[in-house]
Amino acid sequence: MIRLKTKLALFNLLSKLVFSALFLLFLPWIVERVNLRQVDNDLIQKRENTIDLIGKIGIEPFIYSDTSGTFGSYNILKEEFISLERTGISEELNYIDITGRIIEGEEITYRVINYTFMVDGQKYLLEIGKSLASIQYARRNINRIILVFLGFIILITLVTDLQYTRIILFPLKKISGKLKEISSPLTFDMTPVKTNTSDFVSLDNALRDLMVQIDESFRKEKDITVNISHELLTPVSVLRSKLENMLLKENIDPDTANKVEESLKTLHRLQSLINSLLLIARIESHQYLRDESFSVQVLLQEIIEELNPIAEDKEVILTGEFMKDHQFIKANRALVFSMFYNVVNNAIRNTLANGKVVVRTLPEHGNFKISISDTGNGMSEAQVSTLFTRFKTKRGDDGDGTGIGLAIAKVIADFHKIKISVTSEPGKGTIFSFIFPESSL
Amino acid sequence: MNVLIVEDETGLAKEIASFLKAENFLCDLAFTGIEASEKIAVNLYDFILLDLGLPDYNGLDLIREAKKAGSEASFIIITARGAVEDKVKGLDLGADDYLAKPFALVELLSRINAVSRRKFNVKIQDIVLGDFIMQNQSRKLFCEGNEVDLTKKEYDLLHYLVLNRNKVLTRHQLYEHIWGNILDDQYDSNFIDVHIKNLRKKLNFHSPSPWLETVRGVGYRVSAG
Repeated sequence: MIRLKTKLALFNLLSKLVFSALFLLFLPWIVERVNLRQVDNDLIQKRENTIDLIGKIGIEPFIYSDTSGTFGSYNILKEEFISLERTGISEELNYIDITGRIIEGEEITYRVINYTFMVDGQKYLLEIGKSLASIQYARRNINRIILVFLGFIILITLVTDLQYTRIILFPLKKISGKLKEISSPLTFDMTPVKTNTSDFVSLDNALRDLMVQIDESFRKEKDITVNISHELLTPVSVLRSKLENMLLKENIDPDTANKVEESLKTLHRLQSLINSLLLIARIESHQYLRDESFSVQVLLQEIIEELNPIAEDKEVILTGEFMKDHQFIKANRALVFSMFYNVVNNAIRNTLANGKVVVRTLPEHGNFKISISDTGNGMSEAQVSTLFTRFKTKRGDDGDGTGIGLAIAKVIADFHKIKISVTSEPGKGTIFSFIFPESSL
Repeated sequence: MNVLIVEDETGLAKEIASFLKAENFLCDLAFTGIEASEKIAVNLYDFILLDLGLPDYNGLDLIREAKKAGSEASFIIITARGAVEDKVKGLDLGADDYLAKPFALVELLSRINAVSRRKFNVKIQDIVLGDFIMQNQSRKLFCEGNEVDLTKKEYDLLHYLVLNRNKVLTRHQLYEHIWGNILDDQYDSNFIDVHIKNLRKKLNFHSPSPWLETVRGVGYRVSAG
């Protein structure tokens, strides 16, 4: 994955390189074209001048009729030359080309105009040449200048581009930062992002609208939770006080007392059901904080200590095997305690006399893992699959629990990003595994 | 002691009052926030039991008003809202304790007693139970000079029964007091029975403990003078 900023910078660099390459390729060629055209015009002008001169003073001063009938002249620096000679060729010549001439033993490249004309029935060939050396020099120099200049420009624009894209993309960085935090409404940052880029403004506005909506529904959910709890728990509270007062009457007969206590028990089940649902709703709407740091091993030892009398009473052996401790950070200790307590308690309840429940901590693939195994009756696959579904679980036969304990454990695990898995073999036992998130290590 | 019960649920308010009257408290009732505000301004109370969910008043404002007026009453918040922030806010404002509805009346009483002990710096006296002596300073139980080795939970259980002596406590009331609310689902009447069984075994090893009674079909009771 490449960041937008980098992509833009790369594209800028690439487009500049391509542009520069094209420039380097074509500019010298264009300059040469222009120069040649100028030279050609110059040569044509010189030809006209020469023809004019011949028309005025005749051809004789140029041609020595004696020997070869040739006229030649070049300037000292051999930049230009002119030659005039009689020729026997029949066709008319009028063209410009580039040829090499050897003058005084030195080969020089010339741009040459060739032109034939008739004077007194005699055909003459006029050649006027101009050296191309200066043009070639110019080309080389231009190449060099362009190269240095372009390199410089590319470097400067690259730096400024990077800075500029960084500045104009800064709001985007802030917006995406906000988006990352969208799942925790408590930490919403509602301040508008400072930018004059209209796209970012509308993006930020849309995001803030969304945050307001999430915040509102979060609050509504919280209100509903609070209201339901109030509505349900108040009548339970009234009933409970009435029943408790009845039980405290000195002249109550044992039979009535028994019935009142049974009513209280039923009421407690209702109460604990409401409280369990509230607990789940509160965890799911993130009303609990995860701001504690604690040793998981100490926590497990506490749980074992607390549940040991129960295990002993059932003649179940409850032990801990700790291979590795783990400092759990950003967690809610009471909730994590509840989760393991529920699972260990569940394991004890489902194990028969002389069975074993073992709580193990071990490293696995770099993650911290806890396993809670029992030698109980085990479960079928179908039972395992509905284990964490609310109200579907009824593992134990002692019916005091509401069958929601494992659902609570699952919600707490999700809240802490702990992965729970269950393997079970009917008749052999069950293993609950908890794999802690890497970020907590 | 004077107690004002601020509770819009009249049924609950009356039950609390009848329970506290039996414990020799003088009870006054207020069913609305305004009524409560007036009563707090006129009368002197030792305790104000305050429901935060009043229809006409923010319960927390009542605490502010009372503290501003220089009231020395101790506040115990009772609420069904159970939100952590309410609890924190209430305690920040100077409330002395916090009880989530539904609560056991005996729990309310023990909180009231705990607050007033704190307020007047009263230590619980050592309590004699047959051949045993419960030393509340050191949180230890002795039998004729020998310490009875109790776990923390066993001591807490016995202590709670002793504080509410001559009352039958149900298993759930005991469980709730000792394990709190968060483990509610795992409430298991067996828990208390197991701990009482272990407790009895340890006591009887030293001396018989007929004062720790099982009330069939109801719960447990410590009967002692």
